[in-house]
Amino acid sequence: MDIDRFVDERKDRWRRLEEVLERAESSTEQELGPEGMRELLRLYRLVSSDLNQARSLTADPELLERLNALAGRGYRFIYRSRREGGTLGRLRRFLGVEVPDAYRQEAWSVATAAAALLLGALFGVLAVLANPTAAEELIDPMFFTQSPRERVEEIEKQEERISTLDDAALFGAQLYTHNIKVSFLAFSLAALTLAGGVWILFTNGVLLGAVATTYLLDGVSVFFFAWVGPHGALELPSIAFAGAAGLVAGRALFFPGDLSRAAALRRAMPRVWRMMVGVMLFLVVAGLIEGSFSQFSAKTVPYSLKIAVAAILHVALLAYLFVPRQSQPGEAGA
Amino acid sequence: MTPPGDRRRRRDRLILTPEHVPIRLSPAGLGSRFLALLTDVTIVLGTLSIVSLALRAIFSPGVAEAFVTTASFVLFVGYPIFFELRHQGRTPGKRAFGLRVVDGRGLPIRLEQSFLRNIVRTLDFLPLFYGLGGLVSLFDRDRRRLGDIVADTLVVHERLPLRPQGEIRLERRFNALRTPSALRRIRQRVDLEERELLLTLCMRADRLEPSARYDLMEEVGTYYRQRLEIDAPHLSNENLVRDLTAALYNVGEG
Repeated sequence: MDIDRFVDERKDRWRRLEEVLERAESSTEQELGPEGMRELLRLYRLVSSDLNQARSLTADPELLERLNALAGRGYRFIYRSRREGGTLGRLRRFLGVEVPDAYRQEAWSVATAAAALLLGALFGVLAVLANPTAAEELIDPMFFTQSPRERVEEIEKQEERISTLDDAALFGAQLYTHNIKVSFLAFSLAALTLAGGVWILFTNGVLLGAVATTYLLDGVSVFFFAWVGPHGALELPSIAFAGAAGLVAGRALFFPGDLSRAAALRRAMPRVWRMMVGVMLFLVVAGLIEGSFSQFSAKTVPYSLKIAVAAILHVALLAYLFVPRQSQPGEAGA
Repeated sequence: MTPPGDRRRRRDRLILTPEHVPIRLSPAGLGSRFLALLTDVTIVLGTLSIVSLALRAIFSPGVAEAFVTTASFVLFVGYPIFFELRHQGRTPGKRAFGLRVVDGRGLPIRLEQSFLRNIVRTLDFLPLFYGLGGLVSLFDRDRRRLGDIVADTLVVHERLPLRPQGEIRLERRFNALRTPSALRRIRQRVDLEERELLLTLCMRADRLEPSARYDLMEEVGTYYRQRLEIDAPHLSNENLVRDLTAALYNVGEG
């Protein structure tokens, strides 16, 4: 067939598909309607076959480029995955079922990440116990302007650092945005290097263990637990969870098994994303606690209460994620 | 020596649709992505400053700052996710520069993918304005940054669809070559490949640098003026090329 006639006869439908796509891409399915959808499908099939024919008819780069782009856009629109269900119901299902399920399915990655953090902490504790001066090498010197005991006495003597809602809100927001960024980094490192993520968790554990031990050696460990506990009960597991989610992604990336790398990634992705949404939520709660409740000294809240709250939060978090619930009717097999 | 243009082709990724039509995806380079990013950052910062003003007017200082901190974080992470999902992979910046994020199979990206590629951004950003991500994408076949690798996505360059004016430009109201004898000569002596070359030249003229455009049109015009024995001294070489092409493609005959 003559290429001129080919173009002449078809250019109206190409233009029409462009218009329909432009409209479809920025509206919902309802707005587009069944009529619009049918037209789009029909035009897409026609343009696809035009592209195939054009390839055998001509080498004109402009024409092929244009048809290629058009068919590509149509393909993307038609074969996209759709979303379904009401927002509220989906949210409840997401937080109530899907997030904990993801954690349970990836329990081994979570255990690996937690082990890295805990082994690091153990290493830090033992290193400082064996040789108290080791603390100065493990911990940033800016924390050594005074001994833990002096620090505690100073904090307990002073007015409360956080006394108004404004202070608490601001400090909390700064803490959780910072911590979420840190969790993103831990995730990324674990996903792209596996070992790098484990290493980050381990070194953070060492730091934590070393600091805790200096307080212990100075006889102020109750203060330490009351001070770090309430938010740490959520924050430390969350950082480990972020690392664990990274390990899940990294495993798909480096050890895809029988699948292609892309397919393995795509299969892991729903779990990875659910775990990370969990991490972000836990970190927001932890940040708000750290910005207020954690900062109170014994004058305001007894340390025993703070430690009790820490224990309850930690148990609640683990129960939420790891204790299997009875699946509700209609959700069986989810 | 490889002819220019070959390099771009080598990087293209071919996708086969269920209709068995291969579609090419051209990974976008750093330059256009950088410009798109600057545009998006500008939009986010603009939005953020307006939002901050409003928040500071409504709430007490500390609470307002808390909301501003949160809003800044939500905007920087959420803005790309929102647009990549709602507008089929195009943030306003990407749209302006003809870019689109697609999944590795050429499909639109899903929520999980958009989320992942945007949280790994924190790592891509290090140590300074996308140092790591930029470096990695230089070595990746599909020009992906780390976030794209984890999410199996890539940013493709979509040639802007031909503007209708480009085609209409062929249809000059008065075509000096439209005499029966000239038309006969033209159709007999210009073969298919030359026709396509002429059409491409006309279509692309607008995108050429003015001096390059002039030189090309002069060269091609002079060549055909001699070869087709066209006697039209008042006709500039560019217009001659356009009229010739229009005649070849039967444009403007009604």
